[in-house]
Amino acid sequence: MVLSWKDVRVLYLREVRSALRDRTIVTNSVLLPIFLYPVLIWLAYTGITFISGQNEELKSRIMLKDLPAAHASLSKQFETDKAVVLSKSANPAEDIRAGTLDALVEFLPASSSDAADNFAVRITFDESQDQSDRAKRRIDQIISKYRDDFLQQQAVRLGISREQYQNFKVDDKNLSSNRQVSAFMIILPIFFIVMLAVGAMHPAIDSTAGERENSTWETMMSAATSRTSILVAKYFYVATMSFIAAFLNLFAMMASMGTVLAPMFQGGRGTSSLRIPIESAPVILAGAALLALFVAAGMMIFASFARNYKEGQSMVGPFYIALIMPIMFFQTPGLAFTTRMALVPVANVMMMIREAMQGIYHWPLIGLTLAVEFGCVIIALRIAVLIIQHEDFVMGSYNGSFGKFAKERLLGK
Amino acid sequence: MSAPVVVSNLAKTFYDEGRGQIKAVDSISFECHEGQIFGLLGANGAGKTTTLRMLSTILTPTAGTASIMGHDVVKDPEGVRKSLGFYSATTALYPRLTTRETIEFFARINQYPSERVPERVEYLIHRFDLHKYADARIEKLSSGMKQKVSIARTVAHDPAILIFDEPTVGLDVLNALDVQDSISELRSEGKTIIFSTHIMSEAERLCDRIAIIHGGQILASDTLAGLRESTGQHYLEDIFVLYVKAGLETV
Repeated sequence: MVLSWKDVRVLYLREVRSALRDRTIVTNSVLLPIFLYPVLIWLAYTGITFISGQNEELKSRIMLKDLPAAHASLSKQFETDKAVVLSKSANPAEDIRAGTLDALVEFLPASSSDAADNFAVRITFDESQDQSDRAKRRIDQIISKYRDDFLQQQAVRLGISREQYQNFKVDDKNLSSNRQVSAFMIILPIFFIVMLAVGAMHPAIDSTAGERENSTWETMMSAATSRTSILVAKYFYVATMSFIAAFLNLFAMMASMGTVLAPMFQGGRGTSSLRIPIESAPVILAGAALLALFVAAGMMIFASFARNYKEGQSMVGPFYIALIMPIMFFQTPGLAFTTRMALVPVANVMMMIREAMQGIYHWPLIGLTLAVEFGCVIIALRIAVLIIQHEDFVMGSYNGSFGKFAKERLLGK
Repeated sequence: MSAPVVVSNLAKTFYDEGRGQIKAVDSISFECHEGQIFGLLGANGAGKTTTLRMLSTILTPTAGTASIMGHDVVKDPEGVRKSLGFYSATTALYPRLTTRETIEFFARINQYPSERVPERVEYLIHRFDLHKYADARIEKLSSGMKQKVSIARTVAHDPAILIFDEPTVGLDVLNALDVQDSISELRSEGKTIIFSTHIMSEAERLCDRIAIIHGGQILASDTLAGLRESTGQHYLEDIFVLYVKAGLETV
């Protein structure tokens, strides 16, 4: 069958024109990526911030034990801290485990070599409990502040300046963005892949099962163009919609999140990390294009067996799940973009895009990722070509069942 | 010079899980002559649609040959499709395109010369009286209007051969008469038409030659006058019943 690019163009424009007039497709491929998902992310962040704010308001129940008399004012500092409630317990360790006490502060006697009035502190807490862990942090802060004030007073008494008694000081500069920004940069590629799949799903069903349901399939099959041209046009149309959905979503997230989330990122610190470096565009574009082509081919293969839209949705469902399964890889802490990871379809593109968004380019791995995705596209297209050669498939003779086709035609049973 | 449509020993066998091999069309032969309407008259399941699908290259024959304007249905399916317009109850229109876009799309995809497409679209809108609905989406049109647009899209690329597979199924009397009139007018314009139906009055009214098809075989093929003469029956319904019951073969 001869492929005519002139016919492909006519068919492609017809598909796009119809799609842009379809409410479901416009909603899923254009409106949802632009509006819904950024709003959902914003809601999620607002919720997380609200909950963490609520947690910060919870008071820590702390027990002080053997506080030296010389440091009675330290007890005052605990008492005056609104986030702390001083408690008593007969068995502190058990109460901490049970969650009825958050932390125990034991003042240990100073060793003989220590200066007078020195003390050591042991904090007993349960790291597995957020409330106890938070109490430990609060104790650290109070004691550190008390120690700084105490040292300063002693220095003043001895006529020493702060700079003199602080032989060295540690200042830190965190080159990474803050935790929330990092989390956001992980979410972006995940949403990008999900949107690629969502963007392809409805066009794939509409252009195959939808044609059968509307009885336009036979009209098209009797047109004076090759089936290859029809298939290629539909394929490019589905891939385009998938690609557009992902990119609209990416831009909408970038545009909205920078401003919406800025106040949450500790007064705007780290929001500069929300900007994707422009030089990463070719890598992101190449990865997205190949993935869109793969997703489009896969979804069309399954959807084309369905006799109507409903069947199409259930046929495509498992492929959609399979597609977003590699996202689970992504949740693994400390996951690095390695050669092995570059061999895992879909997950490799996510890793590649994540690194590119952060301005990191491992070129050999990028090359390997693109080669793997290209291979997936070729395999999917080969399967599609194998399937459409069967006339009974074209006529929809398998009752919407891929399994029946596979059994009868591929396995020859 | 050979006839525009020549069918020779055409056959189609399907495999059904429950019923095994099914001969939907069993070695049929016929010819259609230029400017004539050739009727395929048969009950449901007689093999009409399968035959017409093979002629329009949607299905590939299991055996036999057929040619449309000299193009073989197996060897040159695109040449065949370029020369014919196929209309059936299962060839619907794209609901989200307008009438004008529909005609233009089918003219272009059926290889009508690009530079003449706008002129052709305007002609067909005028010819089928579609002005009022030219820019309305198909999904907004009434059944009758959809039929008109369907016929317009079938002839969008001005094919020499037209296939109408039960075109009046599901239409009310007035719309059915409109469709019949349109088909009759297309014959007057010199088109060669293959028309399938199970409605006797339609076949009587429209067809120059009628083939009675049953069980995948053509039992008789002649003009209405010829069929009357060979059976001694006047009404086509009686002729049809006679052939089907007797299984008489007078090809």
